[in-house]
Amino acid sequence: MPKITIYTTPECAYCKLTKDFFRQNNISYEEKDVSVDDETREEMAAKSGQLGVPVIDIDGKIVVGFDESAIKELLKL
Amino acid sequence: MYDLIIIGGGPAGAAAGVYSARKKLKTLIIAESFGGQSIVSDSIENWIGVKKITGLEFAKMLEAHIRAQEGIEIKTPEKVISVEFLNGNNVGNVGNRASNTNGYEVATDKGNFYQSKSLIVASGGRRRHLNIFGEDKFEGKGVSYCSTCDAPVFRNKLVVVIGGGDAGLETTIDLMPYASKIYLISNKELLTGDPLNQEEIRKSDKVSVIMNADTQEILGDKFVSGLKYLDKNDNQVKELKVEGIFVEIGSVPNSEFIKDLVDTNQKGEIIVDYKTGATSRPGIFAAGDVTDEIYKQNNISAGDAVVAALSAYNYLLNIKKQ
Repeated sequence: MPKITIYTTPECAYCKLTKDFFRQNNISYEEKDVSVDDETREEMAAKSGQLGVPVIDIDGKIVVGFDESAIKELLKL
Repeated sequence: MYDLIIIGGGPAGAAAGVYSARKKLKTLIIAESFGGQSIVSDSIENWIGVKKITGLEFAKMLEAHIRAQEGIEIKTPEKVISVEFLNGNNVGNVGNRASNTNGYEVATDKGNFYQSKSLIVASGGRRRHLNIFGEDKFEGKGVSYCSTCDAPVFRNKLVVVIGGGDAGLETTIDLMPYASKIYLISNKELLTGDPLNQEEIRKSDKVSVIMNADTQEILGDKFVSGLKYLDKNDNQVKELKVEGIFVEIGSVPNSEFIKDLVDTNQKGEIIVDYKTGATSRPGIFAAGDVTDEIYKQNNISAGDAVVAALSAYNYLLNIKKQ
């Protein structure tokens, strides 16, 4: 199974859609809420160069935003 | 060949889909996503019949209603990139084109082509950009068009909100629990958004309002570090040291893919006949924020799309008779 981390904020609709997508496809993921502490935010920024959510890390490959086509391609769905 | 292709999955696309399915039209909906621009809203409180709903719940409600229709085909996520007129008399058998009748061929980003006798364009709008230097480069790197998504990312940071209308004020309020300092700037002389929100903003000691400001350039290296603007009060170029820039200056219509086929106004909105939703070209109807409808509202988009769907139905009955 690929290692997946989703960086999120609490009210972000696209974050929820992203999580729904992984759940519907029975793929487990770790969620990191960047509003909780500065370290998580800095981790996301360093890894992805992004200051917007969601950011999805699939085995070190970064998808910015809920880009369903890109996620499917990386996961070969 | 489909009777009808509906382009878009917001309230207009969904309403058109429900009505065309109930008229038993052979219908295809092509949508990048469901829900329209309200999907990022944290609370919709004016959708008639529902006291309060989040944008995401609203999107799911629309999608579920469409998916409950029998016989409707749905392609999503898929984006229409161009539409071509098919002249039934001249086309002949080119590829798999059905060609015994006039119609339209829709090309998508997935490399697919779909043909139909009629179209409803319900492709909505997208966020207007400032079109200043640095904006594209720093999108997602400090520049944001979604405060419900990104406000919490700017905890303890200095930010600026550009736009003094309803969206600008709501974004400022979204940022208040997080940002350490918020500049709200507008190129107008007065804020135009909801007076209750204006009051809330004026009460906050975190917010500084700057009027008569023309944004000029977004500064930064890997991430945003500032915004340059022209202060029209004293004609001086000034700089705000900020890490976040929230752009809330309205929307533009998603009409590029069909501009050559139908008449549009200066804003790029498709000009429609309000009684029928008809565009300048027979068989193409339009509804919602992509049109020159004055009020960009979910309820109105849905209503306009019902008009367009019933008009498309009548159009199809008429061409059948001919």
